[in-house]
This record gives sequence, structure tokens and C-alpha cells, in this order.
Amino acid sequence: MKVAIIGAGIAGLATAYFLAKEGVKVKVFEQKFLLHGASGRNSGGLTAQFKDEELIKLALRSEELYEKLQSEIGFNFLLRRSGYLKLAKTKEELEEVEFQRRFGLKLKLLHAEEVGEIFPDINTNAFKFASYYPRGGVVFPWAVIWGLAKGCKDLGVEIHDFKKAEVVVENGKVKGVSAGEFHEAEVVVNSAGAWSKEINEKLGIKDERVIVKEEICVTESIRPYLDPYILHVSNGLFLSQSMRGEIVGGIVGKSNGGVGSSFDFLVRYAKLATNLVPKLKGLSILRQWAGVYDEGINGKPVMGFSKVQGLYQLNGFGRNGMSIALACAEKATKEILNAQLR
Amino acid sequence: MRKVVCRCEDLTEEEIVHAIELGYDDIESLKRYTGATTGPCQGKGCLMHVLRILSQKTGKSIDEIGITTQRPPVNPVPLYILASGEEK
Repeated sequence: MKVAIIGAGIAGLATAYFLAKEGVKVKVFEQKFLLHGASGRNSGGLTAQFKDEELIKLALRSEELYEKLQSEIGFNFLLRRSGYLKLAKTKEELEEVEFQRRFGLKLKLLHAEEVGEIFPDINTNAFKFASYYPRGGVVFPWAVIWGLAKGCKDLGVEIHDFKKAEVVVENGKVKGVSAGEFHEAEVVVNSAGAWSKEINEKLGIKDERVIVKEEICVTESIRPYLDPYILHVSNGLFLSQSMRGEIVGGIVGKSNGGVGSSFDFLVRYAKLATNLVPKLKGLSILRQWAGVYDEGINGKPVMGFSKVQGLYQLNGFGRNGMSIALACAEKATKEILNAQLR
Repeated sequence: MRKVVCRCEDLTEEEIVHAIELGYDDIESLKRYTGATTGPCQGKGCLMHVLRILSQKTGKSIDEIGITTQRPPVNPVPLYILASGEEK
């Protein structure tokens, strides 16, 4: 079987890797350089603190897959399981905790003062409650992509960067992709993230997903200082320390399109971040950027074959790609292999 | 002799060449893999050196290679100064 995958982000590359392991001939097409899309622009937060059973299960499976793939491929993803903290002003915003515990998540529901024991420099007046997930943490998204790309190449997968691919359809059935030249394939995977909607619409497939823009910035590097990944659900602030020592942070995005950076974001971020962790005040912002991601309906990923025969959808990960995409890729691989057997 | 290309991230010419040989041979990928241009100077001190090395190794002209996306701020700005700004 031949499979063409559009989009070399975490979902596309992981699917390519899993399929190649099963002996499938895989080609991956990336319109720009690897890391150009959301997989290269996010802050690497890893959690399973979701409000939906499917998402929780995908996140738990992804935790296992991170460990497995790192050793299998022989590439360090720079993953740190130092906890994921969801902060909130009201308990209602964290009522999901009981639901999440049903799936085995070892969560701690904490009062602000108790969070001060995990991270002493946090301003305990900036929130009231927290849900702490010790198995959560931070991964370096670039290393994940480099590692997956290496794993793919070791298995003979062709990765074509700077090649925008278009799906070629004949009589309602996928024939392959056109990317400068024609590449034949029985199955085409649409894992192009924010750009997957455009691909679908071109094929006449109705796509109601929302495209969200999010802005992020980094400070200069400092010694290891902040262990957990922090997300303040009441105001959207998130921040963590990368393995390079930078404080990486942003504000949860809104659907307004574009990828430009704004000064307004920096001001809003600086206010929220220094209110939550006053000691960050003296740190300088080195760089800011923006990214776009595609959000599925009800926050769920879009997975499965679509009305164009042979076209597999693997998108709609929203902000949760790093947390769930590996398991989604594994599931996609199974479904693609099963469809071929029929 | 060590030829330091990027002082912020402590990168030598040899390390840049090695990354290009590994296949990180467009400027955006090379930047990310090596960390060149991502330190406190944000490329002011190293981008031209990295471009020269990439051009010499790949035979592509500087124009063909292009430069990395230039991201704000121009110089590092402390958070307390940004926090004193007015919100829109």
C-alpha cells in the first residue's frame, strides 16, 4: 500500500512512522519547512486534564507513546514530567476533576496556598484553586518533530519539505497527490493542521472547524526555576520553563486569523505573567511569535475517512496536539490498515 | 582552532556545518536545530555568518536562501516595562 501524508507536524509524522513500521510505503509532504506550523510554534504543555473521555484516553496513551518512541527511535524529546497546574478563580472552573479521576488520573485539587508549596514564588492572590496533575509536564516540540522525522527516515519514509501537495481525486476516489509532480497513493492523510480546512474545502468537503490564532513569547534563559507547566483557566495565561531555560508563555488564543505578532499581546501577557509570578519582572522578552491551529467541534479531533474515498482526516487537535496527537496517529494507522484489508 | 559563529548560544562553524550535513539545510530549519539567532542578540551577531556558511555549503545565493523571519522586539525588553504599558 502507498500512503501520502499532507503536513509534517506531530500527527502526520507519527502516522508516517507507525505506517512505515507496518511495511507501508509512505511519503510526507510539507508546504514549508518542518516546524512551520503549530507543531513548531506551541509551548509544549502536556496534560490529560480534559473534559472528555476520548481526549483523556488519547492523552494517557500518548504519555506511553512518548516513552516508547524516544527509546525506539533513539532521540531525546527533552520531555520533563514535572506536573501540569491548572489555576482558577472559582472551584466551578475545575469541577472536571472528579470526572477525570474516574479515568485514573492522580489529580490533586489544591487551594492557592498549597500551590505555594509546589512553586513558592507564585502569587497566591492571583487565583483561588488549582488542579495539579503530576504526570503532566513540558516537552520540547522541536525535538519531537526532529525525532519523528529521524524515525521516519530510518524506516525509508520520504519527507518532501517545501512541497505544497494537492489531493488528486478521480470519480470520488483518491488517486494520490500532486506536488510539482504526481505521487500515486491509495490513501491520502489530511494532517495539515490549520491548513487542512483549506484542503477539505477545495475538495468540496464541508468543514466547520474554527481556526484559532495564539501568541507566545520567550524570555532570556535562566537556571532551572519553574517546574510545572501553568495554565490559568480564568484568564488564559500560560507559562512554563523550557529545557533551554527560557520562560515560554502566552495567552490562550481567539479565532481571528492571521499569524502576526502584536504589541498588545506583549502588554497583556506582561501584566498577567508578572502578577502571577512577580519575580519574573526583571526578565526580558527576547522574541514573540504567533501560530494558528484548527479546533474541532466540541474540542474533539477529527479522525476518520471522509466522503472522498481514501481521504483520511487527521486534524482538529486545537491546543492539545502535543498531548494527544501521538495516540491519534496510532489510531489512524490502525484504521488505515484495516480499511486496506477490507 | 574554534571559530565561534554564535556567541549567545556558543556555536562554532563546525557545528553549523554539521547541522547542514544532517539535512537542516534551509535557514529556518538550521536556525531551529542549532539555536543560532535565538539567543539574546536574536541574530544580530550571527545571522550573516550562518547565511555565509549555508551559502558556501549549499552553493545557493544569499537571496535564494533568504533570511529568518524577524520577530519583535528589536532588543530585549524587561517584563516590568511591558507591564506598565496600556492595554487596548
